[in-house]
Amino acid sequence: MKPDARSDIRHVSDAELVRQTLQGSDRAFGELVRRYQDLLYRHAERMTGRQDDAEDVVQSAFIKAHRNLRKCRDPERVGAWLFRIGANTCKDFLKSKRATVPVDTMVGLVSKDGNPEREAESGVVRSEIEHAIGSLPAEQREAFLMKHVEGWSYTEMSETLDVSVPALKMRVHRAREELQVLLRSYGS
Amino acid sequence: MDSRLQAYLDGDLPLDGLPAELRATAAEWDGLLDEIRATSPAGAPLGLDTRVVAAIEASRAASRPRWLAWLLRPRMIPVPPAAVLAAAAIVLVVSLVGLPGGSAVDETLVYVQFVVDAPAAETVHLVGDFTEWQPTVELEDADGDGVWSGRVPLLPGVHEYMFVIDGADWVTDPNAASYQDDGFGQQNAIVAVSTLNGT
Repeated sequence: MKPDARSDIRHVSDAELVRQTLQGSDRAFGELVRRYQDLLYRHAERMTGRQDDAEDVVQSAFIKAHRNLRKCRDPERVGAWLFRIGANTCKDFLKSKRATVPVDTMVGLVSKDGNPEREAESGVVRSEIEHAIGSLPAEQREAFLMKHVEGWSYTEMSETLDVSVPALKMRVHRAREELQVLLRSYGS
Repeated sequence: MDSRLQAYLDGDLPLDGLPAELRATAAEWDGLLDEIRATSPAGAPLGLDTRVVAAIEASRAASRPRWLAWLLRPRMIPVPPAAVLAAAAIVLVVSLVGLPGGSAVDETLVYVQFVVDAPAAETVHLVGDFTEWQPTVELEDADGDGVWSGRVPLLPGVHEYMFVIDGADWVTDPNAASYQDDGFGQQNAIVAVSTLNGT
């Protein structure tokens, strides 16, 4: 693609990109992917704990989004709509993994295995935190990460995930309580 | 957990609204959350958008019209015995000689970070054997400091690559570990990719 053509599309609004995609433009959808892939990918990597799983999840989410783009009722907020599809794809992925893969492996994080040398390595505290987050139920993990790591307000989370603010607060509160217990057990 | 501490962490209560005995715990939580935020992953690997669009195109191709699917459907075709013998001979020769890439391939992808200093560039693309030398992977310079970078998933093995500046100038990575003559008067940079278990 020529640089001038590329810079043109970068100034097109989200709603216009949705319209062009619905008319069959893969280039327009490619630009939507470029705009929102980092947002979806960071969330997916935090949720799954693995880069390759995160990429699979994000790719799958965008393909679903392309197939269902006509269902996006507010094209100006297509970013939030895409994030919701990405978040749901993450949870579906974690559910499918849970049946066959232990949590420690699933999240790809360092587990406490009693090996003193490994635990003496730097970064073990961070690994314990990541492991604790990876042990949370998917909905609690999602709410906790969006609130405390990705910087969403409860109102934004509610609008994006279509879950009430009190329900989201409850998930975050439970996640904090669970983390407190897990981190105390690591420290003991 | 104390409901006032939850309210503080929700942003509904200021720190000085907490009783003194809870402030130390609140500070511990603030430190913990800072630690979690410090491990923020990098953005999406380069070329993800290209792969998404390619997958959509492939999916579209898979849903061909019925008449085309009918045309491409496998059928039993009577073949003379001499043709069968000739085909068997070809298969045998190929088996004995072996095909490149015919051995078992480790398909674990490894994410490799590419960085190049190109302060005057408008665009920088990474090209290599893994892109079939097509400029499909665009590096990024989000902060405008002239340092372009991006992560690309690669299969384990030895790969050759170059950078393409502004769609025209093919540039060798000056920081590569080794180089290979490209046959066109320049050198390709070499990157050796292995998984943690050494494959």
